[in-house]
Amino acid sequence: MFLHNLNPCIKALTIVLLVIMLALIFDPITPFLFMILTVILTFLGGNINWKKYCLYFVPFLVIAFGMLWTTIAFADAPANPHEVISLVGFDVPKESFVTALALAFRVLSVAALSLLFILTTNVVDFILSLIQHLKVSPKIAYGVLAGYRFLPMMKDELAIIRSAHRVRGFNHAKTLREKWNQYKMFSIPLLASSIRKAERTAIAMESKGFTGGKERTFYRRITITPSDWFFLCMMIMSLLGIAYISWEFGYFKWYNGEL
Amino acid sequence: MKKALLHVQQLRLRFENQLDKDILSNIDFELKKGETVLLLGPSGCGKSTLTFCLNGLYPRELDGTITGDVFINGKQSTDYKPGELSRHVGVVFQDPETQFCMLTVEDEIAFGLENLNVPQQLMEEKIDNALSLVNMSAFKESAINSLSGGQKQKLALACILAMEPDLLILDEPTANLDPVATKELVATIENLKRQQEFSLIVIEHQLDGWMELVDRTLLLNKNGELFFDGSFRNGIKHILPCLREQGIWLPKVTQYVLQQDGLNEDFIPLTIGEFANQSHYWQQPICNTAPQKKRNVEEFLEINDISWVKNNNTIIQNVSANFYKGEFVAIVGANGSGKTSLSRLLAGIQKPTSGTIQLNGKPLDDWKEETLRDEIGYVFQNPEHQFVTNSVYEEVAFSLHLKRMNTREINKQVSSILKVCQLSELENEHPYSLSQGQKRRLSVATMIVDQQHMLILDEPTFGQDTQSTMELMKLLWERHKQGTTIVMITHDMEIVHHYAERVIVINNGEIVADCNPNELWKQPKVTLNAWQLDYPIQVQLQQICKKDTCYVSTQP
Repeated sequence: MFLHNLNPCIKALTIVLLVIMLALIFDPITPFLFMILTVILTFLGGNINWKKYCLYFVPFLVIAFGMLWTTIAFADAPANPHEVISLVGFDVPKESFVTALALAFRVLSVAALSLLFILTTNVVDFILSLIQHLKVSPKIAYGVLAGYRFLPMMKDELAIIRSAHRVRGFNHAKTLREKWNQYKMFSIPLLASSIRKAERTAIAMESKGFTGGKERTFYRRITITPSDWFFLCMMIMSLLGIAYISWEFGYFKWYNGEL
Repeated sequence: MKKALLHVQQLRLRFENQLDKDILSNIDFELKKGETVLLLGPSGCGKSTLTFCLNGLYPRELDGTITGDVFINGKQSTDYKPGELSRHVGVVFQDPETQFCMLTVEDEIAFGLENLNVPQQLMEEKIDNALSLVNMSAFKESAINSLSGGQKQKLALACILAMEPDLLILDEPTANLDPVATKELVATIENLKRQQEFSLIVIEHQLDGWMELVDRTLLLNKNGELFFDGSFRNGIKHILPCLREQGIWLPKVTQYVLQQDGLNEDFIPLTIGEFANQSHYWQQPICNTAPQKKRNVEEFLEINDISWVKNNNTIIQNVSANFYKGEFVAIVGANGSGKTSLSRLLAGIQKPTSGTIQLNGKPLDDWKEETLRDEIGYVFQNPEHQFVTNSVYEEVAFSLHLKRMNTREINKQVSSILKVCQLSELENEHPYSLSQGQKRRLSVATMIVDQQHMLILDEPTFGQDTQSTMELMKLLWERHKQGTTIVMITHDMEIVHHYAERVIVINNGEIVADCNPNELWKQPKVTLNAWQLDYPIQVQLQQICKKDTCYVSTQP
């Protein structure tokens, strides 16, 4: 699956460029078409479980819908108040509706791009690529990697602490305030053990000769191949292409300080 | 004579927060090339601190003061550049979970090589070599979190071996492993020692298995002083009371032999093998001290065909058992076999997916949380998880406060429990500032203050030195005599043998044996090993004696 084999840094660069371009465009059709293209590409070029994909997509849908709704509800006074469309029984000025739709699709297209990156990129490769190509300090990069291993451990430990406190006689917290107080109590043992673990990991890393210095060799060389650049160009060309099509049909609009 | 690889001179170290107390005090010793040394001492005597001094982490990362010198290969440790010393000194630490920073086995081994700037084309071969040395070649591409504790420790060892150090330090490498994984790791090291020349410092609590390997022993005391440097046998012969006072573990076989009458001072066996060679000294069949079993008929907890499924994995499968009032039960089995899960189900911390648990004839679900806690106390593996207040006194008084008991009554009860647990003088300390052994006793204290009828403990002797273990077992034994039902998860077969009236063996989530320990020891070795268990020392010795008598009697 070619998306998985791309250089993570170039992939990230591509996504960033596309997001910037999308931010300059302000019509509903261009981001909508580009979102469709991104989703199709994700499934064609990546080995992805569609259930997982939908699950990740749901929160973005909620946000997009919220934006749609609030933009319509709190829109400026429209320039052409007579052009209205009927939306579930309400008359909404067409202009505000288009603005809202543009915003919502912008959110979704950015979400689709982010998911494309997240779901097809190996964390270790990404971090190694950051060190090798973007010259990120190994001290920070390997630190992040070690921390990444900690997350599931902390989750398990939180569950243990919670049951340990229950045995001591804490009941299930009912109100939000009680819950907050309980989490404050969990945080002390959790922090104590996390700090200890982090210290041990740091000691183990240093004992293996890790100094955080930039001179080191690499077991895995992350390469940049012509196909990475091809991906970058192809993605940008397709966004430009879509923009051209929507311009031809008279939909295209630059972002002009709306909202 | 071989050249000294390591030379420590007048080493003295203090931490910044305790500038008036020596952590290490005037340490002087030498280590020759290829030598194996055992470093022993009670918990908190500065063994790990010494390790950091040897691998160059201190003084670089030290908040405190250090005087004296450490020479490695004739060069002072402070003259090495940061990271350079890892070519000479490699350390395997205690906790298998926190020694790694990568996600897969090969990447982790590569990490060390990368730090040493090993060219990429040589790495693959070194990684394969290191993995084959520890018999882990099949796991080259595995994710680290899919490995067992024993495998993780072998990986940690492989990471260090790939870097080809002259001195290997093992800092309590088996403390978190079950007996079979421990044996395997020791065997791996023994094998390595035969194949390659390197010096080895082993820091351990659990001595069994290591004794055949070591040339010399260094003993540290509570003040961080090196008080013995020589063969362990001589140490036992000359300063035994001192060893006992410092809470230093002896090999189990030695411990056992020392308890016998008619001790032959000239020859004290340190290993089972030595005992076997000398077993005619100990002709009289060794008597069995396992407690008398009487089964109380009064049922307390009844579990009926329970199963527990987590993330589609069956952790506990169709388990049925009854627990009676006043029993002392040990739950044993391999790491990951479901011991902890079962104990949590028993305590009502987790609900079984199917099946029922009844306490005094009433289903566990029908018990209110507060009344259930009056019946069953549960001591977690890490005592810190259970601490909820800021002082030892408050910690014990906490559940009494919850019951709105009056202050006088609370005071009385807390004082008596603290006394039983030998924590009276520490009542104003913060629970986190206690030593490991004290923390453990405090966690037990909080669970017995309400006179609970049943106490469930998850590996309570884990990582403790002899003295704390003995104090804890004494405490539990007292409770047991007063009628408390004790259910204890443990890896320590000696404890099972000496204290338990009943032992439950868990394998892959099922109960495979539920009997008196003596019955369990009658199982053949293959069966026990399949369950990741071993015979207690006493039974092993009996077996040796029996074999000898058979051998003698068949002679014409």
